[in-house]
Amino acid sequence: MADHGHDLLLGSFITPTNGDPQAPVRLAVASEAAGLDLVTFQDHPYQPAFLDTWTLMSYAAARTERIRLAGNVLNLPLRPPAVLARAAASLDRLSGGRVELGLGAGAFWDAIEAMGGRRLTPGQAVTALSEAIDVIRGVWDDTTRQPLRAGGTYHAVHGAKRGPAPAHPMEIWLGAYKPRMLALTGEKADGWLPSLSYLGSPQDMVDANARIDDAALAAGRRPADVRRLLNVGGTFSDRSSGLLQGPVTQWVEQLGELVLEHGFSAFVLAGDDERALRLFGGEVGPALRELVAAHRGTPGAGA
Amino acid sequence: MSGRGDAGHPLRLGAAVRADAGDPGALTRLAAVAEAGGLDVLAVDGGAGGGEGLDAWTALGWVAGVTQRITLVAEGLGVAAPPAVLARAVASLDLLTGGRTELALTRAADGGAGGATDALAEAVAVVRGMWTPGRSPLVAAGPAHPVPGAARGPAPAHDVPVWVVGADDDAVDLAARTADGWWLDLRATGDALADVGRRQERLDAAAARHGRAPGELRRVLTLAGAAGAPTVEEVVRLVVDDGVDTVLLATDDAAALHRWATETAPAVRSAVAATRAARGTPPATTRSARVRSARRAGIAYDTVPAGIETVEPGDTRYPSMRSNYLRSGRPGLVLLPRDTAQVAAALTWARTQPVPLAVRSGGHGISGRSTNDGGIVLDLRRLDGIEVLDAATRRVRIGAGARWGAVAEALQPHGWALTSGDYGGVGVGGLATAGGLGFLAREHGLTIDHVRAAEVVLADGSVVRADAEHHPELFWGLRGAGGNLGIVTSFEFEVDEVGDVGFAQLSFAVDDVAGYLHDFGALVEAAPRDVTPFLIVGAPRDGQVVAHVLAVVDSDVPETIVERLQPFAMLAPLVQQAVHVLPYTGVVRRTADVHAGHGEPVSRSSLVDHVTPALAEDLERLVRSGAVHFFQIRSAGGAVNDVPADATAYAHRSAGFSLVAMGAERDRVDRLWDALGHHWTGLYGSFDSDPRPERVEDAFPPATLARLLALKERYDPDDVFRQNLPVTSTLRREPRADRPLLTP
Repeated sequence: MADHGHDLLLGSFITPTNGDPQAPVRLAVASEAAGLDLVTFQDHPYQPAFLDTWTLMSYAAARTERIRLAGNVLNLPLRPPAVLARAAASLDRLSGGRVELGLGAGAFWDAIEAMGGRRLTPGQAVTALSEAIDVIRGVWDDTTRQPLRAGGTYHAVHGAKRGPAPAHPMEIWLGAYKPRMLALTGEKADGWLPSLSYLGSPQDMVDANARIDDAALAAGRRPADVRRLLNVGGTFSDRSSGLLQGPVTQWVEQLGELVLEHGFSAFVLAGDDERALRLFGGEVGPALRELVAAHRGTPGAGA
Repeated sequence: MSGRGDAGHPLRLGAAVRADAGDPGALTRLAAVAEAGGLDVLAVDGGAGGGEGLDAWTALGWVAGVTQRITLVAEGLGVAAPPAVLARAVASLDLLTGGRTELALTRAADGGAGGATDALAEAVAVVRGMWTPGRSPLVAAGPAHPVPGAARGPAPAHDVPVWVVGADDDAVDLAARTADGWWLDLRATGDALADVGRRQERLDAAAARHGRAPGELRRVLTLAGAAGAPTVEEVVRLVVDDGVDTVLLATDDAAALHRWATETAPAVRSAVAATRAARGTPPATTRSARVRSARRAGIAYDTVPAGIETVEPGDTRYPSMRSNYLRSGRPGLVLLPRDTAQVAAALTWARTQPVPLAVRSGGHGISGRSTNDGGIVLDLRRLDGIEVLDAATRRVRIGAGARWGAVAEALQPHGWALTSGDYGGVGVGGLATAGGLGFLAREHGLTIDHVRAAEVVLADGSVVRADAEHHPELFWGLRGAGGNLGIVTSFEFEVDEVGDVGFAQLSFAVDDVAGYLHDFGALVEAAPRDVTPFLIVGAPRDGQVVAHVLAVVDSDVPETIVERLQPFAMLAPLVQQAVHVLPYTGVVRRTADVHAGHGEPVSRSSLVDHVTPALAEDLERLVRSGAVHFFQIRSAGGAVNDVPADATAYAHRSAGFSLVAMGAERDRVDRLWDALGHHWTGLYGSFDSDPRPERVEDAFPPATLARLLALKERYDPDDVFRQNLPVTSTLRREPRADRPLLTP
């Protein structure tokens, strides 16, 4: 497995709780202050203890200046793709090109159905996500005035107006684990955004990356066209007690291995802990960039 | 001119701006002009979708982040996603903006008109249902928007009005049937201003068909600014003759918007006020028929003094305000005064209503009957100011509605803290009038021992300052029995210098419970005053008793902290331990609790001088009985004991410990607790939920009780404040054999 050479991104993974509605906003602002590149938000629209993630992102985008924002990952079954495409492009324009689109096929079908969403089998949900990506990219494509026809069985668009287009080439990142989702990621997505805790063994990580690479090549793309991002959890402490449980130097070493051996180039830290975010952005980030640049032989080469 | 009439709704003037994809920065600039110009409402629309317009909801969320004060609404949202998701989105923005969000819905453009209207009616019902928290899931049959069973909530921060946008008959009928108001956009209809009255009459007729009074529906009007801004006279006529209450000027021109906000709007406001005064237009009843139908008998809702914020049973916010931490409530009205004058006005009015009255600061009280069924709750949460009066003497004024977590946060930057219980969600007023047994008690005494003055609203509505020189006897009584004497609106405290502290959480597997409890008590008494431990025991699991010691050591020196804790760590085998050096804000943390207590708590309290071997034996039997799921011993000695018994109405100055037992079955807990009565030297009123009047005598020994009864005669002769440990209840019962007869 190769390092794909993308510039490194470090981010935060925020729980959008509504008990203190400003708390997630403070964490977003703190992420920016900590020097992180990215702030991402969980999306569980069926969860009454959470703020609506898209609304929170719109608000948080206005409260920050530099940091990029993404859902991690947005729940497609409860967010119709044509609406989501316009919303994402709108926020990208309002924020000066700081939005990326993290998408998931949906997992908690009882809860999705309870809210009025349509229950799909996991297989159907992958097809629906694939159609949704076509719809979203079609809405964004305002280079033609031809009305949009896209989708199929689950998300059919018959002659919709196109636009607005995002302010920058917005990336679509997929939360994917199973073979068909990984294949879709390789075929159509700009990024893969799994959580380390769901990936299992290092061999599982190698296998999943290989499936993405194969699908990308089969679709006439390069493996490097799919950025590999990773949600991670961990704690900073003086003594080492496992993966990402220990001092900063250990974090740098272990994340460096994930970059150089497994091709990951973005790490998103969960835990809603401001102190950890400061260490992640202020100490892990610079040291990790230095380490990776030394191995790559060029300082921070882009893809 | 139709002259159909002015319903007297509050006048609001605003702007309608387009979220332009070509120039997204314009939205931010126009929002700033509208807010700086003092407009009330900013409506954002994204055009017909696609192309030039931005997504309106996203644009509104962005604008929310760059504004502070102005009310926000996306004009004519369609229901493109499941309405349950839309409901959460709107509630979320209302929470993020502290109540600045409204919802204006429009019918889907495609689909048969009738079907789309019914679908929108379904969506409105789903949205409102989602905003109403409750244990039962929201179910809607459809057919357009079926909801099989969604978890409700969150509730928005305020009662979000729902507007229906559209001028055709179906939209008008839908507005009249379901909405809080109707929104007419003259850009869409191409009407002249002279047509507005006729349009409003059609809404009146539709309202009548649905059994609603025309004045119940509020009216928004969007004027096309491109055709030239309307004159002051034209806008005034729209309000006082046609009954429009919210007038929005649609413009993308910052200069025109500025003129509208700073020249036209002020002139319109004064002219409308003058016309209304001249005509004697009464202010509108702002509650809809739907909300009014949920009102309780005995309360003259429409006579609440003007300006006092109210929450009624039919309001969206009611579920988040009806109950307390451990007790469910069903009050008929919650009053939310924002200053002392409003507290006095609210109290004076509430006394004219023949229903129960409760006074609430944080709503955390275990004994505190700070909610009720069918009565009035005077809720002090808006009086939450925290202000340093004199840094040299560490004198701080704190509102009764502040919570202790916020107090800790405000004091921490000064290197100060005020001992205050063990939980940041507790309100200041209830605790600082009862005692205040906190994590710094052994070093710094009770919270009431730090009160230097209090501002009090008395039963007759007068406001006095009570301190050592002014009303000194009242000042004595407020510190321990304040709930009997008046409504304290703010306190002046002398706070302490407190840096980072050691906070330990130690868990023990205990076999010899009696020995453990006795040893714990002895260790506490022998310990230096800079350590204040609390002990909690749950119900035994499979016969195993687990005890938790939470202790604060007022030191940031690890060696000192370890030295203080070492003896406690040896009490029994440790199963878990955590020790942190934290600011006091890490011990008493800010919380964002919304109380949703249900039922009635069963909690008993006592105070004892020592944990004697005999008491410890009896407590082991209590703990092992299984009837008590929470048993706690708090340190109540040290500096608390330095204060003479007659210095405050908390008289138990020999007590070293506060004991609390909570269970599920009142009779069983009472029987067990009453049987231990010979051990008790008194009780701490805030922790006891037993309504029997004997508890009042346990809380206030004879000399204290006599003084309190004398104070009642002087300051509250009508016994207005009789909800918490009412001292007057002792006059209405036979004297107990073991107590001397009281002669007040």
